[in-house]
Amino acid sequence: MSDQETLDGLRILLIEDEVVIAMTAEDMLEEIGCTVSAQASSFNEAMGCALEGDFDFALLDINLNGVMSLPIAQKLREAGKPFIFTTGYGSVGIDREFSDVTVVTKPYTIRTLSNAIQAARTGAVN
Amino acid sequence: MEHFRQSDVRYSGDRSGCIKWPGWYGAQHYLMPEFRALLSSDSEMAQRIRSYDWADTPLGSPQSWPQSLRSALSICLNSSFPAAIYWGPELRLLYNDAWRFIPGPRHPDALGKPGKEVWQDIWHVIEPQLRSVFATSQGFVTQEQMLPMQRFGKLEETYWDYSFTPIAGEDGQVAGIFNQGQEITDRVLTERCNGLMLTLSDRLRALETPGVILKTGLEIAGPKAGVDSLFFGDALLDEDMPVKVNASWSVSAASPITGTLPLALFGDDALHALRRGENFAIEDIAENPRDCRSEAHALLADLGARAVLLSPIVQNDTCVSVLAAAHNAPRQWTSHDHDLFRSIVGRLWHERSRARDGMALKESERRHRLIFEQARDIIFTADLDQRISACNPAAAEAIGLPADQIIGRSIGDFVPEHEFDKTTAMLQQKLSEGGMTRYEVSVTTASGRIRQWDVNSALTIDVDGRPIGLHAVARDVTEQRAFDERQQLLINELNHRVKNTLALVQGLALQSFRKDRTVAESQQIFQARLAMLAAGHDLLTREKWEGATIAALVADATAAYADPVGRILAGGDSVLLAPKAAISLGMALHELGTNAAKHGALSTPEGKVAISWTLSSDRKFSFLWQESGGPIATSPTRQGFGLRMIERALASDLDGHISIDFEPSGIICQITATLPELQ
Repeated sequence: MSDQETLDGLRILLIEDEVVIAMTAEDMLEEIGCTVSAQASSFNEAMGCALEGDFDFALLDINLNGVMSLPIAQKLREAGKPFIFTTGYGSVGIDREFSDVTVVTKPYTIRTLSNAIQAARTGAVN
Repeated sequence: MEHFRQSDVRYSGDRSGCIKWPGWYGAQHYLMPEFRALLSSDSEMAQRIRSYDWADTPLGSPQSWPQSLRSALSICLNSSFPAAIYWGPELRLLYNDAWRFIPGPRHPDALGKPGKEVWQDIWHVIEPQLRSVFATSQGFVTQEQMLPMQRFGKLEETYWDYSFTPIAGEDGQVAGIFNQGQEITDRVLTERCNGLMLTLSDRLRALETPGVILKTGLEIAGPKAGVDSLFFGDALLDEDMPVKVNASWSVSAASPITGTLPLALFGDDALHALRRGENFAIEDIAENPRDCRSEAHALLADLGARAVLLSPIVQNDTCVSVLAAAHNAPRQWTSHDHDLFRSIVGRLWHERSRARDGMALKESERRHRLIFEQARDIIFTADLDQRISACNPAAAEAIGLPADQIIGRSIGDFVPEHEFDKTTAMLQQKLSEGGMTRYEVSVTTASGRIRQWDVNSALTIDVDGRPIGLHAVARDVTEQRAFDERQQLLINELNHRVKNTLALVQGLALQSFRKDRTVAESQQIFQARLAMLAAGHDLLTREKWEGATIAALVADATAAYADPVGRILAGGDSVLLAPKAAISLGMALHELGTNAAKHGALSTPEGKVAISWTLSSDRKFSFLWQESGGPIATSPTRQGFGLRMIERALASDLDGHISIDFEPSGIICQITATLPELQ
């Protein structure tokens, strides 16, 4: 698949507070050729990873144990790292500032995830 | 006028200037020039006097009339004011054209007749007056003298202003009486009617109660109208036009008529007249007018009445009320009577309507006042400058000030500045577009608290349709709004959790259904994990999602393996875990239990599991899962989902350190963490 080819070797920062979901995402990402190069389940951890920058693309859960992760999105944007939001809330709680960012609602399928990453990267390249 | 002298008469020889007096005592008799001139007038009475045969009367022929009579007659005939002369002991009548209407049909026969014969009906009144003038030589003047005169077949109450002036004869004694006068019946009756109406107005205007107004009105009008009884009733809508008697008055204290009377008993003529708004009169019931029913006779007989006059009020082509006047003798109702009763019934109706309207208005005001006072909603009014003009107790309570400290102040005193801009904008909107506005506004109470009001407001319009202010009904929705907000948060949170749980289930499904397992195995594992997840939620729901104790988590996770007794030894300090940590530990315990039952200590009857935990005063938490007596544990070549999840979930959610060791005696799982203080 051409999608997989383009995503091959893409290094992902996976930010997700629910371990089972994180593990599932991890499996999905590996299946589409990505590598999870960094993982975080709390706001502080996630902020640290974002600043370190050891990744090409980020999956950002909007709500991390009740803490909104928008400041992390801010940092990612500043760092020029493409990312998508994942959420159980729908698009509720996202600032207008990030209205252009793709939102993937949980639970998501492997295809949804792959298309979202694809679209976000294309958008970022353009 | 040239003076008339006796000598002129005697020595007059100019016959050509004389008038032949036909029917007099022969052609040789000629009148003196002055007298001749007087009687030569074209007036009717001059002609009649000329042609009258006076010789058969005590006055004798005009040639023999004394100067005094001639002078008086001259004045009489030349006067355009009604004038008459009563002459001689028999008071024989002579009168002018203006006077001839006074005796009605007795003219022209009244000429030359004795007063007593002409005025039989009123002689008892005027004879003493005339006699006194004779006796005293003093003139007599009377005003508004009532004379019950028989005219055109009717006995009429007539009123007069008149005078009797003595005429001295040649001997100086009173020889006759000069009468001037005019009838003022119309004026008197009109004034009397006006006076009664004025009295009624004055007295009734001060009264407030409809029943009292009718009763008082009849008591005033009855005696003045000269009838024996009066009734006021409201007509009901029916063929027979029944009238419910509301008030009655009677000159005798006879028992008044009460109840309902069908006016149809007076016949169709009565109904038709009343419906047209016309009076209906019976002059004498004994004459049995047209189609009166026998009940009418009985009714009037009961009352002792002979004559009746009914006067209606008609509204929108319907007779709504009737005034009935009854007289105990036959009565020829005059046009004045008709007018009078029409006026009376109109006045009664008007005053009662006013009182009814007033009472209705008062009642309506009282009702609205009660609503205003008792409403739990906040009600206030303000002028167009947004100055508060009234507020109800609920408003005063909401603001926290007595009403008198709110009234007169600006709405701006009770709302933050930007909110006053809003109320002003809303007022402008109402003024330009009309209608109502509904908006929420923050209100600052006397104690400085900010409350949220939901305000419904509309313009107050005066009788000319101009806006003069606004009135508003408001409700404090502060709690409602806070509740709504909490509700929304809860819904969002619920949505989040459901989605998360679904994602979790998705994860569990993906991890359970694997290629290296049979479908049956996968299903079993998936169902067990789902059950574990559900049990975790049940546990937290029991604890209202405040957290769960480790003892409870352990008991839930190991319940399936508790038999035989003593296989599982569990105990430790009382530790309450936050919800997420509790779920993680619960899942970890489930995975450990499943693993032990499949591969570890719980797979043999001899195997045991010891579970213990401690929490130090500085929140250092330590948990130990130790299996013994089972098969020799071997580290798996590929770490399965369960163990991976245990390690990561606990590390993440408990923020602790996990170790899982595959000792020959069995698996040992150790968790250490520093627990946050639970709130």
